[in-house]
Amino acid sequence: MRTSPTPVRRVLAAAASAAMAVGILAACGSDGDTGGDADSAEDFDFSCPERTDGTPEADTAANESQPFVFGSPGDPTSMDPVLASDGETFRVTRQIYETLVDTDCTDNVPGLAESWDQNPEGTEWTFHLREGVTFSDGTALDGAAVCTNFERWANFKGGFQSPNFTYYYSAIFGGFTENDPAMGIEAESIYQGCEADGLDATISLSKYTSSFPGAFSLSSFSIISPASLEAIADVELPAADSPLPEYSQTAGTLAGTGPYVLTEWDHGEQQVTLTRNENYWGDAAKVKTLIFRTISDETARRQALEAGDIQGYDLAAPADVQPLIDAGFQVPVRGVFNLLYLAYTQGQAPLEDHAVREALSYAVDRERIVNNVLPPGGLVATQFIPPSLEGYSEDVKTYDYDVDKAKDLLAEAGQEDLTLTFCYPTDVSRPYMPAPKDIFDMIASDLEAAGVTVEARPITWVEYIPTTRSGECPLYLLGWTGDFSDPYNFLGTWFAAESTEWGFDNQEVFDSIAAANTEPDEATRVDLWKAANEAVMEELPGLPLSSSPPSIAFAANVYPPDVSPLTQENFAQVYFTTGS
Amino acid sequence: MLRYTVKRLLQLAVALLGLSLLLFAWFKALPGGPENRLLPENATDQQREALRAALGLDEPVWVQYGDFLGRVVRFDFGSSLSSGRPVATELADRLPATIELSLAAMIIAVGVGIPLGYLAARRRGTWLDFTAVSGSLLGTCIPIFFLAAMLKVVFAQELGWLPTTFRLSAGADYTEVTGLRVLDGLITGEFDIAWDAVLHLVLPAIALSSIPLAVIVRITRASVLDVVGEDYVRTADAKGLKPSVIRGRHVMRNAMLPIATIIGLLLGSLFAGAVLTESVFSFGGIGSFVYQATTERDYPALMGFILVIAMFYVAINLIVDLSYGLLDPRVRVRS
Repeated sequence: MRTSPTPVRRVLAAAASAAMAVGILAACGSDGDTGGDADSAEDFDFSCPERTDGTPEADTAANESQPFVFGSPGDPTSMDPVLASDGETFRVTRQIYETLVDTDCTDNVPGLAESWDQNPEGTEWTFHLREGVTFSDGTALDGAAVCTNFERWANFKGGFQSPNFTYYYSAIFGGFTENDPAMGIEAESIYQGCEADGLDATISLSKYTSSFPGAFSLSSFSIISPASLEAIADVELPAADSPLPEYSQTAGTLAGTGPYVLTEWDHGEQQVTLTRNENYWGDAAKVKTLIFRTISDETARRQALEAGDIQGYDLAAPADVQPLIDAGFQVPVRGVFNLLYLAYTQGQAPLEDHAVREALSYAVDRERIVNNVLPPGGLVATQFIPPSLEGYSEDVKTYDYDVDKAKDLLAEAGQEDLTLTFCYPTDVSRPYMPAPKDIFDMIASDLEAAGVTVEARPITWVEYIPTTRSGECPLYLLGWTGDFSDPYNFLGTWFAAESTEWGFDNQEVFDSIAAANTEPDEATRVDLWKAANEAVMEELPGLPLSSSPPSIAFAANVYPPDVSPLTQENFAQVYFTTGS
Repeated sequence: MLRYTVKRLLQLAVALLGLSLLLFAWFKALPGGPENRLLPENATDQQREALRAALGLDEPVWVQYGDFLGRVVRFDFGSSLSSGRPVATELADRLPATIELSLAAMIIAVGVGIPLGYLAARRRGTWLDFTAVSGSLLGTCIPIFFLAAMLKVVFAQELGWLPTTFRLSAGADYTEVTGLRVLDGLITGEFDIAWDAVLHLVLPAIALSSIPLAVIVRITRASVLDVVGEDYVRTADAKGLKPSVIRGRHVMRNAMLPIATIIGLLLGSLFAGAVLTESVFSFGGIGSFVYQATTERDYPALMGFILVIAMFYVAINLIVDLSYGLLDPRVRVRS
């Protein structure tokens, strides 16, 4: 997912309220027909820590009269979520609109669909919708409404197909019914159609991928009232650099089913105001008025919280977390759903030598990085997916810190005088990489201790991706925050085929990932993902370093929402507490 | 005067054309493209290429510049790549904040700086002169960013007298007329809004006024010292004019010429300081917008911003030039 000014890859989907019990960030267990995550129980503790703060008494008067103001790191871009791919948009839209599938911890759970079935091939997905759900414009949710939305997306024309607007649609469904050559998308759409039958909607796909059903929880695929879509049916977006349509920049056009309704988007004040949806089908929002205001500077966000100008903010700097807790603020620890790695580009000698990659891996003290740079709740990574995903393997080779072994391996490989260029980004902080320079410094000093000479190459973020992709950097830091519960979202984008950014050609690895990605049977698929993780760690294309939770902070006098590893908090749970 | 104004406006058009060409070429020469910010880091190379093609970024630079120029002459700055909104709308939404902040800072700088500079000159060598001169030295030395942060910590966080961020309190019911919050509050009779806006303006305006205030104090002091030594002041004194008349008509009016010039220049430079101040106070002006546009290679937004700022600079200097005529009859006679 794209992030805005303060760069943070943010994730998905859906408002989520009724599925989550207030007060407890529930254990990762799936209620959907498709079953749960095989690994989730054992990983529960660090994936989604349990809440221990009880349920303090609500200050009803304050909830009705005071707005809850949340400091967001960036502006949202569009109130039509299918036209966005950034977390700041989704933070707002998931309070207004909801998706078929929701996420609890990192598991897929019922959203607007009470349950769902898939055919054995995984190409037909039938969603059984909740009864009695209405959009905020008063119309009812049914299977036809779901199909209207899917048909709308599939039939987008012109600039609506450009990846800067509908990145997630083309990323998940391949393309559109009729691809516009000017938008550069060539892949065929895997979406085949949608059939409605009362409260059921069946989506047909031409092939299965492991993105489903997780992808149905992406906030981009929120279900919007067909009546309100009717009003914008004629809106055109001629080119990729056309302005976003007016309806997506203002309140009052699109209607969702979420606990809040958009009442104003003041671009000048960088403020989005939401008001409680009094006819919400689930538990109504506790606070009547919810406001998101943009404060791009992380220090300014902290100061605004300390001064009482806002009641919560996201992306607290790791160094601010303990002082905030000491001062009485609440910093609930999110579960982890991201991964930071140190890449070894095998196109750069001598990194094609497995012994050298092994030596470098033994040289890095990941524990020290997690303890010193990452916020509380960070974990050492042993493989290229976070622990809460299906297919996380306990049997991968882990390359635990051992500097003597690193030196021995380098000596055996004849690389005692090894010099390597090490790239890191300068003007960015990501949820998986809160302080790139600090992380670089620690790894560089570890490598130096093993006898490797490190040449630093700092690069601005906007150049960083193309530079690392081109294979120019022998060593570099990068990572990813998952969009939804799917190992392919991590492994597939990195290791599905040969690429210059990794520079290795190991057909066994590529085949193992393809096999897992296309296996519709869950139990078999989990085993295949485990095998894929083990094969990747044998190849050792890079060293998985850590998973870290982006920190979110709240005032002492509020009951915060259940924090989400996918950063998809449901603000309907928030309330002001008494004694404030 | 009309001919002079037209000539200056023509110069402006040529200057803007040259500037836009230079900046366009420079931005395009910078490594990295906007697709790297617009798409997630694990987007495929095909997706990145598709976006570059759709945005026309794979065209030769001169074709892209031609497109840009074609749009600009139709007063269409294009749309910001990161926000997806027309650049003109973005600027219209954000410029009032920067203008309000700069004006407030300038009012403080002029309102305090000129009297202080004058008093320092008239009481030369006293404690007041010493304080004004050393204070102004300090004002020019402290980085705005640091001063802003300090003011915020003391007056907003520790003492809690003033808000830390934004232009209005959250949820304030405000009717927009000009975009200048204080003025709008007064126009619409929403005096609580005007007062709220003033409270939000105090700290950033003080921070931003520090450098112009210091400069104005020093220039005023020097200019007044220069003028009071002139023969015509001595003559005015000798012929028995009242001191207030000498001060107003002979000393200050003559001393104002260099001060007016420097105010014009400072007003332009305030925009640069505003970028930092706005960031510290989340003031919602063009500061964060431009910062974002730069890091994201948002070419249309950057070009639109630079053209508008260039026009502001030239317009302010034009106004300063024209104001000479009002201040100094000799300029009027010559033109």
